[in-house]
Amino acid sequence: MSDSINSINYIDSKTPPPREDRFVVTNAFGGTCSELLSCAKKGCINGNERRFSQTSGCQFTLSLAILNTLRNAVIIMHAPVGCGSCSIAGAAQSKVFKKLRDPNAKSNVWLNTNLTEVDVIAGGVEKLREAIFYAESEFRPDAIIVANGCVPALIGDDIDGLLEQVRPQVSSKLVAIHCEGFKTRIMATAYDSVYHGLLRNLVRDQQVPVDERLFETDVEKLKEKYKISRTVNVLNVSSMSRADELELERLLNALGLTVRFLPCYAEPDTFTYVTDAALNISICATHDDYFTKHLELLYDMPFVLKTIPIGRKNTEIWIKDIATYFGLEAEAAKLIEKESSELDEALEPYRKSLKAKRAYLTGGEIRILSMTELLLDIGIEVIGLKGFHYDQFADPLLEVLPNKDRLLFNAATGQPFELANLLERDKPDIVIGHTGANVQVAKQGIPVLPLFGQANNYLGYAGAFDVARRLNRILKNTMFNRNISENLKLPYKKEWYEKDPFHYIKEEEV
Amino acid sequence: MSKFIDRPRYVCSLGGGLETLHALPRTIPIVHASAGCGSNISNATNPGGGHFGSGYVSGMSLPSTNVIEKDIIFGGEDRLREQIKSTLEVIDGDLYVVVTGCMVEMIGDDVPQVVSEFSDSEKPVLAIETGGFRGNSFTGYDLVLQTLFKEFVVPKENKKADVVNIFGLVPAQDAFYKGNLRELKSLLNKLGFKVNTFFGEGETLEDLKNIAQARLNIVVSDFYGVDAAKVFEETHGTPYIIAPIPIGSRATGEFLEVVGKALDVKDEVIEKVIKEEREIYYDYLERIVDIVNDVDLQRYGIVVADANYGPAITKFISDELGWIPSLTVITDILEKEQEEQLLKRFENYASGLKPTVVFDTDTSAVRRNLKSIWPQNDGSKYYDSFGPAVIIGSSLEKDLSEEFGYPLLNVSFPVTTRATLSRAYAGFRGGINLVEDLITLLVRGR
Repeated sequence: MSDSINSINYIDSKTPPPREDRFVVTNAFGGTCSELLSCAKKGCINGNERRFSQTSGCQFTLSLAILNTLRNAVIIMHAPVGCGSCSIAGAAQSKVFKKLRDPNAKSNVWLNTNLTEVDVIAGGVEKLREAIFYAESEFRPDAIIVANGCVPALIGDDIDGLLEQVRPQVSSKLVAIHCEGFKTRIMATAYDSVYHGLLRNLVRDQQVPVDERLFETDVEKLKEKYKISRTVNVLNVSSMSRADELELERLLNALGLTVRFLPCYAEPDTFTYVTDAALNISICATHDDYFTKHLELLYDMPFVLKTIPIGRKNTEIWIKDIATYFGLEAEAAKLIEKESSELDEALEPYRKSLKAKRAYLTGGEIRILSMTELLLDIGIEVIGLKGFHYDQFADPLLEVLPNKDRLLFNAATGQPFELANLLERDKPDIVIGHTGANVQVAKQGIPVLPLFGQANNYLGYAGAFDVARRLNRILKNTMFNRNISENLKLPYKKEWYEKDPFHYIKEEEV
Repeated sequence: MSKFIDRPRYVCSLGGGLETLHALPRTIPIVHASAGCGSNISNATNPGGGHFGSGYVSGMSLPSTNVIEKDIIFGGEDRLREQIKSTLEVIDGDLYVVVTGCMVEMIGDDVPQVVSEFSDSEKPVLAIETGGFRGNSFTGYDLVLQTLFKEFVVPKENKKADVVNIFGLVPAQDAFYKGNLRELKSLLNKLGFKVNTFFGEGETLEDLKNIAQARLNIVVSDFYGVDAAKVFEETHGTPYIIAPIPIGSRATGEFLEVVGKALDVKDEVIEKVIKEEREIYYDYLERIVDIVNDVDLQRYGIVVADANYGPAITKFISDELGWIPSLTVITDILEKEQEEQLLKRFENYASGLKPTVVFDTDTSAVRRNLKSIWPQNDGSKYYDSFGPAVIIGSSLEKDLSEEFGYPLLNVSFPVTTRATLSRAYAGFRGGINLVEDLITLLVRGR
């Protein structure tokens, strides 16, 4: 059942390779979906760059997006103080979401090694050592996770070496995540960096196969084996809500499967028995290919890695892929038929009110392509896509788009200046946009539905209905963004809007 | 020798620079650093500054060179040159400022040299080597001001007797900076002066160019902006005084006396302004005298703040509200001499009380110190327990607030639980706002 495009093995390397080295991938491209597919095949997009660019985030903060959700863990940001405060926004909010899984959860705790000019010369390893001991004695976490920024990588701090030394002296599990920002153009390398650290420090050499465990009776052992054969790991993403998780769990429970969610909001211990499952289910290939392929390599675990279950069609594919593995095709068909037709009926009033609305989508490639499916089901026309990057995992979703010869795909991590040009030209009725960039869309007077939100539903059948009704509500009153566009301006010269939106994209100079 | 920090309450020097530039109108930062710096810093200052926002060209709109490994190896100057040129083409501004992150400083990019190649562009382009690890937000603020004073502000031989400048509050790092500057400006207006605060309502870059006309710089902080004030004096001859931010009636009265005297304002004029403002202040304050006395709203006060707010708020709760100031934790990174200097601000309270003042950058230190200022109950029947108390601190104090049941007023960075758009705590009006917010906390359940 594995959709392996190619198998990989980096488990013994200190760091995972940047994504540019593993795939055909780009975050600087503009053209139709068809053009994108053919350029990718020709291999001429990997090195694309920009002559003008805007800040976009790096794999350090994106790694933290996952790491900050781990319960009973203290994060040490090995970096100067700027990197050390980027978790401020989520600190208290995270507690609210953690509490949905564990009522005793606390706010995020993190330490920052606060590297200064002095440390750049002398090295920062000693400060890191002190921070580790403080984390252990003050907070007694299950795991201490060291994530490093650019500076320690540049000065050559041997973080793994230090952890080796310190490991016998602390009871918390120590995990090193190598996620320096400058290492890669593609921010999504963060997912690989996180999984790499988790695999090497919490998964590998920690798994105890069932046959090596002690049981009172043979019957107990068989029961355990049966339970495992009916358990699946669902790899969640930090942009999901708890309600999304419960929806997916509901659907899989209906097939008789028990669900375990990780890595987000899991405990460090969860990773030590990740192999107690029959199947790894990803909901986003961008997020999980590194993890699933390594688990297949090390433990022969099969996996499903195709699409995000957003919208009826994608949810159907997702359920079918899983059901086929267990031989539960018939049960799945019944479940899908019932859910799909109920949802279909519920969407009718929104198909009327949202008819012929034109939408732009901005965000992760898999997410926006999956959302496109949902919007088509509601009757909304998708006229433009802005994906944070493009790689081959998007191909199956791009191939099946009805208007791929006209539909525009702008591969850009951030870069709102390109979007501003496109929106001025295409004037959609709504933008379903990734957090951080919606403020610029508002200044053009266009209403916005956030692409995801940890307090909202988007996934499965329940999520599809919720998206439709919220779109309906948002479009009822668009005064706020209208007022904003009439009184506040974007910072671009008017000459910019006369240029091609991809004017500043160039091929890499060798 | 610096140490690690448990949940820092500031961003880095680059971040302080960006916060400061964000607050200036039509000013375009160009970040020379990895792709993460601008965005990560915005992720902290946007919500942490009481919802500071992405502004004109901040947040994800920040022009940035986004250096990657090959730039680190071969040098980033070509990339910077390309980015400055393209930013001048795309972004509409009146002042362009290149700021740097850690990694480009480490590889030795000669940023001033590259920037000097643009010296004859239509709009000025400046270079400020903020380098992330040079310090924290306060450092970046000071570096930006120093460069502006040296390279943007126009020299003026003749000073105007009725013009002063006020600075010392770091935008976003101080979530109430804009409201505070408005209040301070309004007070000095009443004394007969025109005031430049650089970041204030309606102030422009043209105004900023002309600030060398000022006869005096008033730095409302013991430390922040002081180096810049020295540069101002060296470059433009304008002297400065330090008059820390006043909160409430008593402190503002003292502030006006100190500042008025330094500006040769007649005593009668100063006293008249104080009298008028004080009457308005007490007219508002009168409204809560009932509830304070009927329900006993006196509290023990725990203050967790920076070097500007720590002394100001602690004195306010003691001498204005009659609360018991029990513990003040100053979370800034300070030298020993600075700590000793700041301690003087906690002396001679009108109440006669003396709070315990601790300097600690760690969030976990607050709880630890709390336990040490009050004897634990050893099981006696009669025990003078600590509380009820109120915490005036940052959103990082939430867990503490919940654990002990002490309500929290979010005043220090990060201020994520409030949108503090035009709110002020400085001056008479600011003092009333603080009273409102504190009493609101205590009547929430009614």
